[in-house]
Amino acid sequence: MPRLSLSFGLLALIALLAAASLHLGVRFTPTGDVWRALTEGGDDQTALIVATLRVPRTLIALTVGGALGLSGLLLQTATRNPLAEPGLLGINAGAGFAVVLLVVFAGVQSLSVIALAACIGALLCAALVFGLALSAGGMASPSHLLLAGVTIAALLSSGIQIVIVADERTMEELLFWLSGGFADRDMRLLLLAAPASLLIALAVWRMAPMLDALLADDLTAQSLGVPVLKVRFVVLVAAALLAGISVSVAGPVAFIGLAAPHLARLGGAQAHGALVPLSILTGSALALAADIAARFVIHPSEAPVGVLLAAVGVPTLLYLLQRKRLGAAA
Amino acid sequence: MTAASVTGTPPRLSRAGRLVLLVLLLVALALLGIGLGSSRMSLDRVLLALAGEGARSDGIIVWSLRMPRLLMAVLCGGALALAGFILQRATRNVLAAPSVLGIVDGGALGVMIFLFLFSNESNALTVSILWQPLAAASGALLFAAAVVLLAVRTGAPPLRIILYGVALGALAKAGVTLFMIDGPVHRASQAATWLAGSVHEARWSDVSTLAAALAVLVPLAFLVMRRMDQLQLDEQSAAATGLPVRATQLVLFALATCLTAAAVSFAGAVGFVGLVAPHAARLVIGGRALPQAVGALLLGSAMLVAADLAVRIAFAPLEVPAGAVTAVIGAPYFLFILLRAGRVHA
Repeated sequence: MPRLSLSFGLLALIALLAAASLHLGVRFTPTGDVWRALTEGGDDQTALIVATLRVPRTLIALTVGGALGLSGLLLQTATRNPLAEPGLLGINAGAGFAVVLLVVFAGVQSLSVIALAACIGALLCAALVFGLALSAGGMASPSHLLLAGVTIAALLSSGIQIVIVADERTMEELLFWLSGGFADRDMRLLLLAAPASLLIALAVWRMAPMLDALLADDLTAQSLGVPVLKVRFVVLVAAALLAGISVSVAGPVAFIGLAAPHLARLGGAQAHGALVPLSILTGSALALAADIAARFVIHPSEAPVGVLLAAVGVPTLLYLLQRKRLGAAA
Repeated sequence: MTAASVTGTPPRLSRAGRLVLLVLLLVALALLGIGLGSSRMSLDRVLLALAGEGARSDGIIVWSLRMPRLLMAVLCGGALALAGFILQRATRNVLAAPSVLGIVDGGALGVMIFLFLFSNESNALTVSILWQPLAAASGALLFAAAVVLLAVRTGAPPLRIILYGVALGALAKAGVTLFMIDGPVHRASQAATWLAGSVHEARWSDVSTLAAALAVLVPLAFLVMRRMDQLQLDEQSAAATGLPVRATQLVLFALATCLTAAAVSFAGAVGFVGLVAPHAARLVIGGRALPQAVGALLLGSAMLVAADLAVRIAFAPLEVPAGAVTAVIGAPYFLFILLRAGRVHA
């Protein structure tokens, strides 16, 4: 079972990365201190750094990375398009637009209100895209969904850009949120986000055979007894929810949703029974690795995690693409 | 997506008629683009100035300020739309576009490296800004060449071109971001204007260089148009018609790359047009590749001209880059025809 060993390998890698994430930073924290901070807490600086900075960002990277990886897989499957990714549902742009409006016109500063607005904006936008796609061609034509999503996303991104150009002060305030990342986010959001993501993931995993059928053309899937339209709709809603959760916790994080499913496929997984967990694990590993690397590139300040995601993910992708050069995926 | 489902618009007006309408639309937008701006001109003054008569100041405004800007928008919008059209055919992917497959990001990295290498301590350029388009074009072409070289080793199936394009594009984008946060603020804002894409600094020399490049590339694209019809079939049927599928896809990719490189070197990374104009052409014009490509050219030009017009009217005296509002102009129109196409199918 190469897939099983791959899963365990990834799990081990994630455990290693998570441990590293707790130890590394502007200053290295010895294992003894990390352990003490985790088990006993304490008020000294080291314990505070571990408990209030490193633990949250590690957990957030794990959750958001996994959610984005799965969301990307679901979208690529439901639309049968290898370029599909969570941002294409307009979710990032919708969240960003809601946050920009709130900050510019209501002067809101609280991070948790911003997160709530992001979530609402993301889901409203996804609903709008679904509505447009349904009236433009129905679930029968996933390409209309992508086109409607791309259009709405571009429209809202323009809106964000215009507001930012017109108001440079806002740009300074919002750039942090708009660039997305796992550091300095509100960990309380995870109390809701993590269980919700986990539930969705389990539900989707149970549907794995139906997802396999979705990859065939609609007629074949139907003759296999799969209610294509219903399954596609459910899958897309799940993808939208996962992406909405991610963006409200960590802001818009690109690349994971696009790359993680491809990495999982290039790792040898074909069926969704393996692809679902592998995409989640790959997404988490990517997010953790990028988050750790972001602490060191422009030491001592933090680099935007998007840059590091590409720096970590692209070489892996290129390596796997070259290795699997005779693979069947065409 | 079958041919029948994409040509579903009812034939209220013949295909040629619809193309003529698009031409008229473009002409109307162009006249507006010349007439409107910080000083308004009525239509008769515009026409007089175009004919070389009328007031001397009008002539200067029209010929040295607004005309190059207008032509740049027409040429860039058209080139990007045609590039998107070709890429969508070559990769058989509705989401393919110059900005998706790493070409534009490569150009952006070229510009960043240029600004980095040739700026002195006081952030002034040590060489002429006229070299910047060359840097952008080299970046775009280099990255696209890398995509092709990597994909050819695996026989260049479309999925590989897409994946390599996305991967290298992500790398280039990361490089651009690093340059932007690491460099001085001034350089970041200069780069941001390029990244949004704009035509307001168009010069006649740029326009003529771009026109010369397009005079070669566009006819070449139309020469391979018939093959694009064959490519719409599934791969086996296409091969059965005698089409060398992989080679054609690579040629098309190269063509689209050159078109994109030409357009973005002068106008910067104008987004949205290359992705949506081809789809709009498919929905509005339909039929075979040739009329659709013409429609895409016209719609792309019209979108960018309208966007440039919008930033001049709505944001003056602020110079908001036209690329920032192409979506504001194009999106409502595209959603409208997408919804209309849906109703016709139902």
